[in-house]
This record gives sequence, C-alpha cells and structure tokens, in this order.
Amino acid sequence: MEFPDVLFPSYFGCGPPMEEGGPAPAAGWGEQGQVLDAGPGRCQTEAMFVPRRGGTGESWEPTEAAAVPCVPPNASCWIPSLVPQDILYHGFLRRKLRGGRSGAALDFAKQLGHFFVDHPEDAFGSLGRLLHQNFHLGNSKLRRQARDTTIRMTALMEEIDRLEAKHGCPRQFLSPRLRWFSHLCRDWLFEVPLGLLADCLHEELVLQWAGLLFDDSPTGGALAWLPPEEVGAQTGRLVYPGGPAMNHLYFQDVVLEELPHAQGSPVQFELNGLIRQVAAARVDGEDFVGVRSDYHCGVWRVPARMGVAPTPLQVIHTSVPASCLTVSPHLPGELAVCTQSGSVYLWSVESRLQRLRHDPQTMFFRDHSPWRWSDFTAHPRVLSCADRTGLQCLDARAPERCHFDLFKVGEEANCQQGERVVLPMYLGRAHPSQHLVTTQFSMYVLDERLPLVPVLKWAHMMKAPPLFAHLTPGGPGRSHKVLLGSSHTQELLLLQYQGGSRSACQLAGPPQKLHPITSCLQHLPAQLPHRHHLLQQRLGAPAAGLAAAVKEEGLRESLMVFQLSEAGDIFCQRLTHETVQAPAPAPTSGDETTASPGSSPLIEEEEQTFYLSNLEVIINEEEDAGTPASLEDPELPPQPCTSPRPCPAVSTPAAALQYRRWLKGLSKVCRESPRRSRPLTLSQKRLFTRKDLEVPAAPNPLHGRARQRLLQAMGEGGGIPSWDPPHPPPPVLPQLAEPSGGSDPLSARLTAAWCGDWGQWWEERSGFNRAERQRALRERRRRQKQARGRRSLSASFTSSLTYQSELSELSDSGPPLPSPGPLPPRDSPQPRQRSPPPPDSPEEAALLSSQSLRCRGIPKERRKTLRDYLAVWAESPVEPPDPPSSQASQLCIPSSQSQLSSASQPRRKRPRMGF
Amino acid sequence: SSQEPKLNFKKSKEVCLSYIQDAMLQKQWKRAAEFLSFYVESLEKDFSKEYVNPSEIIWRVGTEILCHCSNGSMREFNSFIEQMKTFGVKRYLKVCLEHAFHLLCNGQIDDAYQNLSLAESWRYGEQTAIQDKEMKLIQAYRGLLDYYSWSKQKNILLDHGLDEFENLSVEQEMHSYFRKAAVNLKEIIKIPGVWDLFVKCYVDLLEFYGDHNEAHQVLTEYAYNSKFPANPNAHVYLYQFLKRHGESKKSLISVLKILHDLVPSHELMIDFNTMLQKSKKRKRCRLGLEVIFAVLDYAGWKENVKAWSCLARQVKQIAIAEKHVDWIKQEWNSRKDWWPAFHFTHYLAKQNWKESESLSYEKALVAGILLGKDCKYFKYVSHQGCKAQVKRFRILKKFVNKHNPVYLRIS
Repeated sequence: MEFPDVLFPSYFGCGPPMEEGGPAPAAGWGEQGQVLDAGPGRCQTEAMFVPRRGGTGESWEPTEAAAVPCVPPNASCWIPSLVPQDILYHGFLRRKLRGGRSGAALDFAKQLGHFFVDHPEDAFGSLGRLLHQNFHLGNSKLRRQARDTTIRMTALMEEIDRLEAKHGCPRQFLSPRLRWFSHLCRDWLFEVPLGLLADCLHEELVLQWAGLLFDDSPTGGALAWLPPEEVGAQTGRLVYPGGPAMNHLYFQDVVLEELPHAQGSPVQFELNGLIRQVAAARVDGEDFVGVRSDYHCGVWRVPARMGVAPTPLQVIHTSVPASCLTVSPHLPGELAVCTQSGSVYLWSVESRLQRLRHDPQTMFFRDHSPWRWSDFTAHPRVLSCADRTGLQCLDARAPERCHFDLFKVGEEANCQQGERVVLPMYLGRAHPSQHLVTTQFSMYVLDERLPLVPVLKWAHMMKAPPLFAHLTPGGPGRSHKVLLGSSHTQELLLLQYQGGSRSACQLAGPPQKLHPITSCLQHLPAQLPHRHHLLQQRLGAPAAGLAAAVKEEGLRESLMVFQLSEAGDIFCQRLTHETVQAPAPAPTSGDETTASPGSSPLIEEEEQTFYLSNLEVIINEEEDAGTPASLEDPELPPQPCTSPRPCPAVSTPAAALQYRRWLKGLSKVCRESPRRSRPLTLSQKRLFTRKDLEVPAAPNPLHGRARQRLLQAMGEGGGIPSWDPPHPPPPVLPQLAEPSGGSDPLSARLTAAWCGDWGQWWEERSGFNRAERQRALRERRRRQKQARGRRSLSASFTSSLTYQSELSELSDSGPPLPSPGPLPPRDSPQPRQRSPPPPDSPEEAALLSSQSLRCRGIPKERRKTLRDYLAVWAESPVEPPDPPSSQASQLCIPSSQSQLSSASQPRRKRPRMGF
Repeated sequence: SSQEPKLNFKKSKEVCLSYIQDAMLQKQWKRAAEFLSFYVESLEKDFSKEYVNPSEIIWRVGTEILCHCSNGSMREFNSFIEQMKTFGVKRYLKVCLEHAFHLLCNGQIDDAYQNLSLAESWRYGEQTAIQDKEMKLIQAYRGLLDYYSWSKQKNILLDHGLDEFENLSVEQEMHSYFRKAAVNLKEIIKIPGVWDLFVKCYVDLLEFYGDHNEAHQVLTEYAYNSKFPANPNAHVYLYQFLKRHGESKKSLISVLKILHDLVPSHELMIDFNTMLQKSKKRKRCRLGLEVIFAVLDYAGWKENVKAWSCLARQVKQIAIAEKHVDWIKQEWNSRKDWWPAFHFTHYLAKQNWKESESLSYEKALVAGILLGKDCKYFKYVSHQGCKAQVKRFRILKKFVNKHNPVYLRIS
C-alpha cells in the first residue's frame, strides 16, 4: 500500500462549486491537466515530465464490426418503454408553454381523455347506466310520450365527431352546445370526482416524466460475470435477468472462444419482482451474487467450480424500494443495502441486518433525490455511503462517531454547478484504496488516503449519465481498464488509467467508444419493413447492465465486453490487445476519403440495395417456409450508412452466423406470444340483440345458405371479402397479360401455376392450336372473373405473383426461383373451378330488404348496419347486367361492380411498402 | 422564419460536432480532422453567447487530434496553438499553460520556459478568479523550471572542479535562478492546494542555503494548516525533513502519530511500529500494537509479510512475557468477529502456503495465539510445515501449544 511520492499539483477550495454548469461538448479533449516530474531523482540534469492526461495507453482493437449476440434472445416480446412523445404536449400551444419554468408540457388532457375512452365503465359507469333510458342517440324523432323523459343527444354526438375531425386545429372553438353540456354535467357525471382523478393522474405523469428524464433504478447494472476458477480456463458464468417481466435470474455458463457463446441451458430462478441490479464479488474462491429488485434483495452463493449449482442463501424484504446492493469483496456473505428512505444497512448472511445510518436528508447540501448508494472500502468494516451530493465513509463498528468525507460535490473536487453523483464504485481490484465516482459530466478517481481531492478527473462527454461501470484491473505495469455505460443511449466508453501506488494516477491514452447494441442492426440480414422496425425497437432498448471478461492466450489478450438491454438480450464484443506492442494499424484512409460527407457514390449504392433488399426479402420468406437459403453472399455490399461515417468492416462469418441464429430465435419467440395486431374483426355482440339473431320458427332456406357460407368462409380461414374496395379502382392497363404472349414465359408459367392449372399450361405450350387455346383461356378468365371476390386469398396471390415477375424483370442474376412443384392443398384451385352458384340473388336481397328487417323487429337505426354486415358475407356478388332488385342493387354498392369488371384485367402492380 | 436559418445552422453545427466526437472516440483522427475543418467555418458565423464557444472546442479538439496524428511534428502543433491563443481572450492563459505542458512533456524545456514567461507578461483588463489561478500556476511552473536550472548549475558546480573565474559566474547565475524560483514557488504554496512538487523544490532550495527554520515552517504549514487538504505526503515530507536533521524521537513520533490518525494504512506505519516496539516506554509499545493491528485491518496489507512479522514479533513478545495480554485482548475485541473470516480461513491458509511460506508462518503464529491451536489456519499451516519438515514450523507448533493460556485469556 504505497502512496505516490509526489502528486499532481491542484488547487483546493471549499464551498459550493464556482464553475458554471452545463455539459461542455468537448471538455474531455486536449488537456494535459498538469504535469509532473517523472525523473527518479531531482539530481538528474534533465527533468522528464509526464502529463496527467494524454499519455499513451494500451491499444485495444475491436475484432467485430458490431456487437454480437452471445445468448439466445430473451423469451419475451419486449414492450417498448415510455417515450417523451407519449406524455408530452404536441400542439400549437407547445411553444407557448415551453417558455414556462418546467420546460416540458405534460399532455395531461390527452391522458385523461385516453382514460375516459379506454375505461368508460370506470369513468362513467353508474351514471351511464342510470341515464341510459333518458338519452336518445338515434336519428329519428322522439315520440311524444318519450319526450318528457328523454333527451335527444344526436346533435351533441355530431358536435363531438366534428370536434374530433378538427383535432389540432388552432381555430377550434367549442360549440355552445358542448360548452353547455360539459358545464352542466361536470360535477356529477364522473364516477371518480374529476378533481381527485386529475390530481392522481398529474402526480403519476410527473413521476413518469421524472423517470423519463433520469431513471436511477437500474444503477449498477443487472449483469455480472463470474470468471472461471483457474486463470486459463475458458468457461465462466454470466448472471442476468430475463423472462417476460425480467424477473427470472439466469446463471448461464459461457464459453469464451472467438465469440463467446452459451453452453448448456442456464440455471434459473423465478423471483418476485423485476430485477434491477445484479452485483457479484468473489471471496475465498466463492462468488457471492446479490440481486436487487424494488422491494426484495437476495443473495446467492456460487462455487467457482463449474457445474456446481448456485444456492440461494437469504432474502430480505424492504418496505421502501432499495436503491443499492453491493457485495463485500472482503468477507463472505456480507452486503451493503440502501433504501430510498435514506437508510444504509450492513447485511451479513450469518448474523443480521445492521443499520448504519438513517437520514432522509442528503449529506452536504439539500437535494431532492432519495437515491442512496453504499459500497465497501479498503477496510472491511468501513463502508462508503453516497447520495447525490457526495460520499462519506463510516465505520460500521461506530457509525455515529467514526466517519469522514470522501467526496463532496463542490469546489473541493472542482465540480461544476448542478453536478451530482451518479454512480460510485469501489475499485479495490485495481488498488485497495481507490474509488470511482461518476457524475453526469465527469468521472473521478478518489483515494481514501487523500479524501476530498480527486486523484484523477476527466470530463467523459457522454450524452447520458453513466449508470454502469466495470473495472478490469491491469497487472503490475499495466493500465487499469474502466468501462462506463449509460442506459438510454447505450453508450459504452473504455478508459484506461494507471498509477495510484508508486506513481500518481494518470489517464492513459484517449478514451475509446465501443459498439452499442444498436450498432448490429446494419449487419443483420435485411428484414421486411415492419420486422425491421420491431428489430430496431428491440435493439434500441435501453441498456441495463455491463460486464467484461478477460481471456489470455499467449501474447494476445482479449477483453470481452457484455452489454445487457432492458429487453433482456445480451450482446458481446471482443477487443484484442497484443502484449508486445505492435504498430497500431493505421485507419484505412481509402475508406475515409470515399465516405466523406456529401459524396455522391452513396446514391448509386442505394440503387443497388434497392434490388438487393428485394432479393433478401424473398429469401427471408423462403427461410420461413423451411428452405435454407444462403445469406452470406460475400459479394453483397454493406447497407448504405445514413451518417457519413466510413463503412464499417463487414461482420465476420462467425458473427453473421450468430446474428442469423439470434434472429431465428427472436422470430420464434415473438411468434409464440399472442399476436398483438390481430386482423380486424367485427364483434356482433354490440350490433344485435339476442332476439335479432334468433332463428325464426320456419327456417328460411336463405338463412341456411348464408349460414353455411359463413361457416365455409370461416373454415377456409379467409378474411372478409372486401365489399368496399379499399383503394380506388385500379387503372386499366392497356395490355392484357397473355400467358402465351411469349414476352415473359416465366411469369406466365408462374401465373398458371398459381391458378393451379399448370398442367394445362404445359399442354397448351407443347401442342394445342392457338385458337383453341385462346378460347379455352377466355373461358377460364370468365370463370376466374366470377370466382373473384369469393376468396380474398386469391388477391394476395396475385400480389405475390406480380412481385415475382417484377423480380425476374429486375434482376436476371437472382436466385433460382422455386420450381413449380405440387402446391399445398390450401392453394388448390378447387373452389375456383366449381360451377358458379345459381343466381338466387333476389331471395338474398329479400333477406336484406328493409321490410324484412322491420318484420324482424330490428330498429331502424340498426338496419343499415345489419345490412352492411350481412352484405359483407353475401356469397356471390350479383352479375352486373341484371340487377335483381332495386333495393339489392342499392345495397351492392356500385363501386363493387367496377372492382369486378377490373378483375379481368391484370392486377395493378401494388406499391410495396418501403421499397 | 428568421429563426429558422439560425436553428438550422446551430443544428448542423451540433451534428458536425457529434461526428467529430464519434471519429475521435474511435481513434479515427484523420476523419475527425476533416470534420473539424468544416466545423471551423462555424466560427465565422457564430454570434451565440453560449458558455462554451466554438473556439474552445476547436482548441480542445484540434490539440487532441494533433497530439495523435501529426506524427510528433511540434512545428505544426506550435503554429496551431499560436493561432488558438489569438482566438479567445478568456482562454489565453489556459491555452498558454497547456502549451507549456505539451512542450515539457516533449522535452522542450527551454521553449516551455519562454512560453511561460511570455504568458506571465500578458495583461488584459481585470482578471477573473480563474485567470488569477491560472496566472499563479504559470508563475509556479516557471519557478519550477528556474529551480531545475538552478539544480543544473549546482551540479556543475559540485561535480566539476572549475577554475575560480568560471566558478564565480556559474555561482552568480545559480543565485539568480534561486531568487527567481524562490519568489514564485513561495507564492503558490501559500494558497491551499496540493503542491507536493513545488514544496519539495522550495524546501530543497531553502535547505541548500541553510534556511532550516523557514523550511521547517513551510513544511509544518503545508502539513498542519487546516485549509489545506489532508495530504499524507505533507506529513511524510515533514517526517523526512525532521529525520534528515536528526530531530528527537519524540517529535518524529508525534508527526507519525498524526499520520497514523489520518491514514492508518500508510506504509510509514511499519517504520512507526518498529520505532515504537524498540521504545522502552509502555505507552509507546501499546501504541505500536495499535498501529500494527490497524495496518492489518486494510485489504492492501493482507498479504504483506513485513506487517505480519511486525505483529507476530510483538504478539510473541507479549505472550512470552505474559505481560500486557490485556492489550491484545482490547485490540482483539473489536476484531474477533471479522478477522477470522478476513485473514484466517482455510482457503487463505492453502493460498498463503502455496504462495509464500514465510507469510503463512507469521500469520500462523498470530492465528495460533489469537485463536488458539484449534484454529483452522494454524492447524493447516503447521501441519503442512511439519509435513515439509521445516524446522521453524515444529518450533511454532510447540510455542503455540505452550502459550495456549494466552488465547484462553483473550477470548
């Protein structure tokens, strides 16, 4: 435990920080800080000076172009967390409101509105039921008797609809009617008094907003690496949370090879809450793993020998959320726990909890944050306690009397105004008396023996405060590696420092940025747009933890950096360092010059990827169907970058394989879970009463048929054939796609194959005379025309048909298209070839006629809905030339005819999303 | 709409800066330099009154880039810094100071000296508090360089037998350096701070000219002024000074006692313990035991043979004499609940035995007396020692068995 002979010069002041606050964008660069005479003695003639910052460090080169997944994806579809857009006000008022003190305008009204719309029963339930009889919502006039007790609300509803349409319009005025209504019923309409509800909602919004601005609950990180027992061994353990609610604790064996990968299945524990932090320390050859969730903390013992299962030791329950859990590196089974009420406990598994301090106030000046932290120091009985204002060390044997200040946010450490402690960490493995303290602006290294004066300070310039840190100690004569990680921005920074015992602390080399998880997005195989979006969301999830492992192979050392995301995925990257200093490979200047901003080659490249992305989409679909396709085409150029950074190196084949495995796993995981975006269905519950749907005494044959067809459509799994065309009728293309036209035999063949009469096509192709062929063709088209509209499936076929043909037009060198083999039964053309149904439309129309509806006692305002509903299920649209009845033709909306007539035309090429 | 171009301009500036940052953090200095050249343009159109103006950013980023990719060409670097100096009045002193640091680290001490002198003569209106501090630092570093010149002259004078005339001129030059250095160094060490380097030099100067009182005062002030941070080095310097000048044991002990209170884990505590053990006074022996126990509380001393042998020696003495066993008892009382798990586990016995025989010997002795002969640590080590047929372990076993009553008394 030597102390450096000479320390770097620095001023020492007292009191609050003087330097004005604010993050300076480049504050960490270009400064040497101070210099020191490094010569062994002053009697030497020439003094040699060393800088506090700016010395040379070790070179750690990343081996991969991006982070690579190292365990299978977490088995849950991550629900993206709240984003500011969800709760902030977006409107014309925003600019006005922004001038206010708070800076952010919470969209309180919108949230309240959401509540009313989403939970009308909870908001207005009882009065709604009470007033049900007295409100009339229909169009009809009220009958005389009813007028006494019933009000017509139709006009009001219309006003509300109009209001909806004008949403966001600056010239939006409340109509007097609405004003009158809201004034009248503000006091009694709501189930929960409006003021109370608003208070609660506002409180919650403010809390959510504070959490969005800075969420300190994951401080410390929920990822830990338990190194192997022997130094040379390959297999260690990762401890991390997972599962749908991140409440499962996994102990996963991981093999450190070229790319670390999981071995076997993890040991799993289900816990009682979301895991916020996982902390680990090794004492006497055993790892102790502390796990913190909001109200529970637990400790596990993990023998370092592989293959021995971890044993849970003890759990404590706190009444206030715990904010910190650290494991003692000195004594087995000792932990430090802090709660948000300002209490600090020393938790020993063998004895009990010992409260060292309870102080809801912060230590050095007042700060509202209830966050507290505690860690161990060089003395096993002395703990450091931190809040946002600084650190104190206190002796657990006499916590009241024996304590000293280790770090203070103030002039002592030359802090900035507004600076706050974000994460303290004991750096015992680098030097027994060193501590790391990070704030939102800087990182400090402190020495217990020289309290209050940081031995090292550096402005880290990270966009978000570093919530995670990891230390990889360097041996004698080597630098210590510190990793800093932030949550929302996923930043990862590698710093090196040296000294502390014989020489003063120095920062070694420039800081280095490591790949965030999102960086791998551009190295994944291209996805369909919606999947790409989902993937982007998943990979962009805030980081939740950080760990690193060292592997030595002869002269080459590797540093594996693991990063955990809130979605539960773990990504890894490897950095290598040659112990014998080789000249660092110069950055390839060729790449840099071509990729300077505004260079035109970008556009050409984009053009190319247009085709390529098409290609890949097809391949993906095939892969889903089970046919393996080669993805690693070395010829593929990387995706064009949006930012003018040089194109990163292409990921290695091993990484590409990992990516594909991970993606496959992810798609499996997400498919298993219930789909959120279900196809739109109509609920008939609200439309008809039981009586409406009652089967009449004399079974109508029409009914039976309608029912049968309904069942048939359901059995086939087809959607509702669209009655109203979703788009305007497709433009008539001048040229008919003649299958035998010869212009494009491949697409013709495929068309035939899709339609199911590929054999016939082949016969035609190989022998029949042309006239007969044409006649047959016309006949078939006519049949098709009739069959069109029966099944929506056919529409999707045509779209993929044009898709394929387009593809073959676009790229000749595309992959071989699938040969026309036997099609799956579902695609068989049987329903199509059935003879057209007899034109019994009059009867069907009769079913829908208003008279018949009235006969069944269906109220007038519901009749139209019912008609539309049934019309949707009507089996065969009526042939255009002979409308069966006036009413029916009214029902069969004219636009449907145009759709029908256009069915004989080749389908318009549908615009494909995103390409 | 008049806002818009301004906003766009600001935005593009920010984006450009983020690209620079990105490139630098990936050590792509060349690319960063390219972006910087775009960024420099922003300086022309910047009318914002933000705290960090682009000139500081350009200075910082430019310096960093040149440090890493100009292949050590100092000329390029110097011309860049000279430009930067003219950019901003506020930052002039800071830039000068950093420039001097850079020159010093590259061994160009004369250039650095010139730079510092030039900066010292700079005047611009009223100085802010920060500028005042920077100016003091500039002066101090100049003083430091003067001191180096002085010590160079001194070495010439001492090493080489020069003739009378040459001797005189060298001596005169040396004295002038002394005066210049002393004035500046004296100034800075009055201000609260960590000035190890300057204090050492100043004391060296004073000692050479025989001004021991002043030196003593400076060191006492540096160590005991409550406005200064609790710097262990200050106490070390004072102790070394007193030792050099043969001060009484009492004053040495009082200096070390204060250091012990401040930093119980300091390496000087071993010397302190040895000094106290030798003393005949009971009080000092008692303090010695306290000191060595406190040293071994710290994780950093856990495997230090020297510290363990100090403790073993003293414990042995007490056990043989069977006097003052209560001292051990008192020290042991506050430690007996955690020292066994911290120092004397079976695992550690195995480790220590594997790594260092003498460490495990000393520790086993202490363990045997403090925890009795059934202690895991002692049992393992003495068993291994006897198995390896090392004589001292057999003696150790006998000794512990013989003095088992001590253990019974303290437990």
